[in-house]
Amino acid sequence: MFHALYTAASGMTAQQINLDNIANNLANASTSGFQSRRVQFSDLLYQSEVMPGAAATQQTTVAAGLQVGLGTRPGNTEIIQTQGDLSSTGNPLDFAIEGTGFFQVLLPNNQIGYTRAGSFQTNQQGTLVTANGNELQPSINIPANATNITVGSDGTVSVTLPGQTNAAQVGVIQLATFANPGGLNSVGNNIYLPTTASGDPVVGTPGGADGLGTIQQGMLEQANVNIVDEFVNMILAQRSYESNSRVVKAADEMLQGLNQVAQ
Amino acid sequence: MDSGYYAACTALVSRTQALDTIANNLANASTVGYRAQQNEFSSVLAQAGSAPDSDLNNAINNYGILSGTTLDQTQGALQKTGNDLDLAIQGSGFFVVQTANGPMYTRNGSFQVSGKGQLITATGDPVMGDMGAISMLPGSVSISADGTISSNGAVAGKLKLVQFPAGTQLTSVGDTYYSAPPKSELAATDSTVKQGMLESSNVNPVASMVELITAQRSAEMMQRALSLYNSEMDKTATQELPKVG
Repeated sequence: MFHALYTAASGMTAQQINLDNIANNLANASTSGFQSRRVQFSDLLYQSEVMPGAAATQQTTVAAGLQVGLGTRPGNTEIIQTQGDLSSTGNPLDFAIEGTGFFQVLLPNNQIGYTRAGSFQTNQQGTLVTANGNELQPSINIPANATNITVGSDGTVSVTLPGQTNAAQVGVIQLATFANPGGLNSVGNNIYLPTTASGDPVVGTPGGADGLGTIQQGMLEQANVNIVDEFVNMILAQRSYESNSRVVKAADEMLQGLNQVAQ
Repeated sequence: MDSGYYAACTALVSRTQALDTIANNLANASTVGYRAQQNEFSSVLAQAGSAPDSDLNNAINNYGILSGTTLDQTQGALQKTGNDLDLAIQGSGFFVVQTANGPMYTRNGSFQVSGKGQLITATGDPVMGDMGAISMLPGSVSISADGTISSNGAVAGKLKLVQFPAGTQLTSVGDTYYSAPPKSELAATDSTVKQGMLESSNVNPVASMVELITAQRSAEMMQRALSLYNSEMDKTATQELPKVG
């Protein structure tokens, strides 16, 4: 009796996790390259007190079964893949991806990580690295005396050296896509790792027909957090939490009343 | 003993069961593709006494019980997500999912691609197309209103959409899956697929809150009736009446 107490508790726990996720999205509203996440819920098992379609008599079946659900659980957090706004920074080593691709960076453990945060710098060897020092892959070296760095929308990086009029190509930025980018594993620092859910990366040159997108130099992609949506979701989470706690109160009062019957 | 005692008791039990359903609906107010459950009360006439159809028998032996729960099949609000593999159905159709326990039906179109390239649900079960499981092609995915999945112009498959004749009893099995009686599915005729959207739960929080209050108050009434029988009438019968003599 009174599954309602546990059912409502499952709803409250789910909304807590929902709120945690909203807090993380809002906290990262200014993190460039951040992609917001959404918690998905699914319903728990049902107790079938009368199975739908059960025989009522030899000739007839019951009109409707009696199934009591046992609540909800958070299923997964999905990464929202919409394009964030591009803001102009004027920095020649800031790149934004307009499309679905990801930059590939070499992590300290020699794994390849994937990111949409395109704020790059050069390290002491002149190699393009992320703000955390992870090398862009395939690695690109900018000569120390380069006066002008140009990145084309197809990822071609070229530099102008002193005393030369023609730009020299020093590398090509490649991007990766995934069959299901929503299934990537977020490990922080804007880095994603592939999983069996996301599928293997498909690497290609930007600007092609395979939907990787193009590279915009001097721009950064802002977080795709929609503040208004997050606030609406926050209100919904809060109200939903309240309505579940109201169920706990109702169940409690009904039990209390039941105890008083016997007095 | 007083038949009203049992009538109140039965009604109280049915209200606590109703509370369980309401709690489940409210707990799933954020579950994508969830269909609200509606309580159905019915009366049971105990065949007591020598004249079962008498008005008196009807009055005192008519018990209210919770006889069943039906699924509310109204359309939930469509929520834009922007994910290419998020699909919502507009209309009464269902996606077909192959599970270890046979085909299941769901309105939760939050799909993913497995490592083997198959289109799967969030729980990992393959989503069925007209020709069985769907193997996705590389490249960005576009899904048309009739469920045809294509990448760069090449067709990967067509989602199987089914609907059920009115009155078909779907069984909730959790994970927003429903099972249906064998051979009851029909090809969906009124349903279109919306890419980049999800159908939110069709639980109406206002209606659920009203049901909650109704269930609680009517439970209080039954409790009051029970204590009346318990404390007043039975006490009178056992303690007061013997003193009369």
